[in-house]
Amino acid sequence: MSDTPIQKVRIVTAAALFDGHDAAINIMRRIMQQLGAEVIHLGHNRSAQEIVECAIQEDAQAIAITSYQGGHVEFFKYMHDMLKERNCGHIKIFGGGGGTILPTEIEELHGYGISRIYSPDDGRKLGLEGMIQDLIDQAAAVKMDTVFEVSDLKTNNWRAIAKAISAAENGRELNFASNLKDSKSVVLGITGTGGAGKSSVTDEIVRRFLRGFKEKNIAVISVDPSKKKSGGALLGDRIRMNSISNPRAYMRSLATRESDKALSRYVQEAIDVCKVAGFDFIILESAGVGQSDASILDYCDVSLYLMTPEYGAPSQLEKINMLDYADAIAINKFDKAGALDSLADVRKQYKRNHKIFMAKDEDVPVIGTIASQFNDTGVNKLFALLLNIIKTKTKVDFGTPAINTNEERTESADVIPPSRVRYLAEIAETIEAYDKWSEDQSAIATQLYQLDGVIKLMEKK
Amino acid sequence: MSNTTTEALQKTYQELQLQLHPECRQIIESWASKKEEYKAETFGFKVRDKVIQLPLKYTSLSGTKISKVYLPRYKDWGDILKWNLQENVPGEFPYTAGVFPLKREGEDPTRMFAGEGGPERTNKRFHYVSLGQPAKRLSTAFDSVTLYGEDPDHRPDIYGKIGNSGVNIPTVDDAKKLYSGFDLCDPKTSVSMTINGPAPMLLAFFMNVAIDQECEKYIRANGLVEEVKAKLDQSNNKAAYNGELPEGNDGLGMLLLGSSGDKVLPADVYEKLKAKALSSVRGTVQADILKEDQAQNTCIFSTEFALKMMGDVQEYFIDKNVQNFYSVSISGYHIAEAGANPISQLAFTLSNGFTFVEYYLSRGMKVDDFAPNLSFFFSNGMDPEYSVIGRVARRIWAKAMKHKYKANERSQKLKYHIQTSGRSLHAQEIDFNDIRTTLQALYAIYDNCNSLHTNAYDEAITTPTEESVRRAMAIQLIINRELGTAKNENPNQGAFLIEELTDLVEEAVLTEFKRLTDRGGVLGAMERMYQRNKIQEESMYYEHQKHTGEYPIIGVNTFLSKNGSPTIIPSEVIRSTTEEKEFQITMLNNFKQRNSVEAQEALLKLQHVATANGNVFAALMETVKVCTLGQITNALYEVGGQYRRSM
Repeated sequence: MSDTPIQKVRIVTAAALFDGHDAAINIMRRIMQQLGAEVIHLGHNRSAQEIVECAIQEDAQAIAITSYQGGHVEFFKYMHDMLKERNCGHIKIFGGGGGTILPTEIEELHGYGISRIYSPDDGRKLGLEGMIQDLIDQAAAVKMDTVFEVSDLKTNNWRAIAKAISAAENGRELNFASNLKDSKSVVLGITGTGGAGKSSVTDEIVRRFLRGFKEKNIAVISVDPSKKKSGGALLGDRIRMNSISNPRAYMRSLATRESDKALSRYVQEAIDVCKVAGFDFIILESAGVGQSDASILDYCDVSLYLMTPEYGAPSQLEKINMLDYADAIAINKFDKAGALDSLADVRKQYKRNHKIFMAKDEDVPVIGTIASQFNDTGVNKLFALLLNIIKTKTKVDFGTPAINTNEERTESADVIPPSRVRYLAEIAETIEAYDKWSEDQSAIATQLYQLDGVIKLMEKK
Repeated sequence: MSNTTTEALQKTYQELQLQLHPECRQIIESWASKKEEYKAETFGFKVRDKVIQLPLKYTSLSGTKISKVYLPRYKDWGDILKWNLQENVPGEFPYTAGVFPLKREGEDPTRMFAGEGGPERTNKRFHYVSLGQPAKRLSTAFDSVTLYGEDPDHRPDIYGKIGNSGVNIPTVDDAKKLYSGFDLCDPKTSVSMTINGPAPMLLAFFMNVAIDQECEKYIRANGLVEEVKAKLDQSNNKAAYNGELPEGNDGLGMLLLGSSGDKVLPADVYEKLKAKALSSVRGTVQADILKEDQAQNTCIFSTEFALKMMGDVQEYFIDKNVQNFYSVSISGYHIAEAGANPISQLAFTLSNGFTFVEYYLSRGMKVDDFAPNLSFFFSNGMDPEYSVIGRVARRIWAKAMKHKYKANERSQKLKYHIQTSGRSLHAQEIDFNDIRTTLQALYAIYDNCNSLHTNAYDEAITTPTEESVRRAMAIQLIINRELGTAKNENPNQGAFLIEELTDLVEEAVLTEFKRLTDRGGVLGAMERMYQRNKIQEESMYYEHQKHTGEYPIIGVNTFLSKNGSPTIIPSEVIRSTTEEKEFQITMLNNFKQRNSVEAQEALLKLQHVATANGNVFAALMETVKVCTLGQITNALYEVGGQYRRSM
């Protein structure tokens, strides 16, 4: 029961509210990762509340914000106040905004308790790397408090939950067995290939859950890989999440740390903490996996495998372990070419794997989804299917949310119809054809001009 | 013997002539008369139904006559034909040298850019910059609160941004104040709005302002002012213009502040005035959601829903005969500002343009119905390719519209606005910035841009001042009025460099089109963040070259002054005042209170239209009468989805 002294530096990065300038913060967060930090990146246009709540839930030591659109004095002070109010004054705030933040304002902010606002002059003196190193050194110096009482673990006590997960991550054993006996939490595991849209699907499920069940709480544990070389990690799932900022939702991003796996060694502990806290629904989202990985099954009650129509030949499906084990399968990016074929292929493979050759297509738990599309009917169906499986497997009935699942997907949803997708090449070809024609015609015109000249010469003779 | 030779030659000639397309033959045969036309003192041409006769000559102090358009001295028919097919005079296909035969008289292509504080301050600025100008070309910058579709609020992360780097416009009443004293239906007034995510709402604000101005003119002309005033809300929650109206503002648009024409006029009268206003307003709304996702990040709705609303706006424009207003400004400016080189700027912008064309066609609109509502917006920097950006854009657009989309002449004409590059301005030796802007403006004017904005030299470090903006405007005026060669309108034509560059850039753009196709077209490439990554790579390349000095920048990395040309830090920055912010919030709350009952109903109606796949913009024209920007944005999130960030 001792705290490991080597704690990872965790930093929340974002661009300020109503600010789309994300180039600089993107460059800086990459350097942070290279220097070994775990970066929870939120992207542009983030409110002070979103950033602060994220930092608390993620148990970060620091927040790093760029602000180029003005209002920075109010913005940074507001974050500082909010952190203090929530007893998280230990989280340091760093910022920068090029020339838009005046030297007098930097002074004012430093005086208020903002750890450091970097000016263009700092950039020139320290260099970009030097600046980031300074930030990381200051963040690393923050003494993390991992003391918590089990009785503090409540769905709305994010600080306690965050501390407990960090304690586990830092090697402390949590003896929760007795507290877990009566847990009614349902754990849904979502896994799939990288780029299949796991975070988008997770977000869409979270949104439907929060809207559908106004009394229930949800926790999301999301895992992303650590880089072997630097030890740093980009924990980027939150950037895709629009619905997570909600008093009934908690999210924690875990880096895999030492292991090469799709999950962190501390996943079970993180889930246990959320169970003890009493979340009704816990989603575990894995890092992108290969065909053979099915490790998520050890941690969840119900599993969802996510893929896209782009898996190659149908024989590839035979190699995917999760097609044997997953309770539900979603083919996301269903607007891609060949989607219907892949739906048929995956259904066929599922039937083969489960030896249910005569099952009706509708009874096979394989669904096409377009998570990027708002209120997608496929995702609606998937959500209903998951609730059903949960009811059957765990006897937990969340109820029936008011979501329309009967509607068939309309084919006209495409912005550009599939038959027109080559439009730019067609335009290029049209122009090239015109240019060729104009060259040819001009060549003929030149010959005519020359002939005309010769004829006139001859006539004079 | 010579007879038979001649006969043989004539036979070959006749055979060859059969291979010459009749149009080409016509071009060659009419060449001599075409040249004659341009030797005359005046030139006549048709714009829509009007015939315009303009002088063709300018006489210098030395008595030299300069023609507005010079034609080549070629003799070879092949050269003449090729010139006509690929260059041609301004106003004729493929419009390489320009889409109109001659530039407009008496209207410098100068836009007056403003946006700061509350609507009153920006209104004063608009009147200040356009005082005495015959044409009022107003360009509006909005604050970031408005750009992201939210209302002003005391919440500190919002409060600090109210009215900074742009004007705060959360309600239709704010828009009424913003443009008060400018007759929006006068053909000499044109308004551009730099807004994208919430563009449909701001556009609905603007249209309602124009309609209510028409109503006000009608009320005054018919002696109904007292009668109308009696009908207007006299409660405490009144809308008001803060302070005195500035010089030049006659108060037009203020009568119906806090109300709308349909509440005080009979329905049939209102509809008539509305129709008239819609068909007369002139201007542009940026509303280009594709470049937002690729470069600028002010998306608020899911891309698909944002595109749907753009289509709704265009459909409404066709339906209501909104013929003088551009429904979109397809913008390369922000792509360039994010770091793209001129070729990528042009290729991505044109490909975005063609994506809108394909989308609108897929919705069943006819190309000739919507193409005239499209406009373009480019950046002009120092790179050589910028000297031909307009030429290449016009040529590609015209060829594609004519031969691929079978569009008519009007649709073939690509019209664009240029802003000199903000990225090329530096915070060191800021006095040198005007020199850069001058050269970029010259590129643009020689390239026959349709309108131009010249940046102020201090924009690299702060919000421009009246003094710096005046100097920026002087740059354009000096070129247009003083510079002798600018009296000619096709100075680039016939230059070997220009011809070569035009061909090279056109080819490079078409190559990029093919790369985009390999990635599933513009939208497919966006999903893979192809454009965004390419822009970033090009930006890094520039920064690297600038850092090493391989790319020389005077007063920045070379030719430094004795004290090393330090970065200039502004001593103070123009910021909105507490009074302005408080006034905005008070007015907003008054608006909400006045309309509290109607607003809820209107929002539900709007959501219903969106879910039923109806025309959201047509619905918004009503919603904005009683709802605020923030209310509408949040209601639409529930039915259209919020933008999902990526990296």
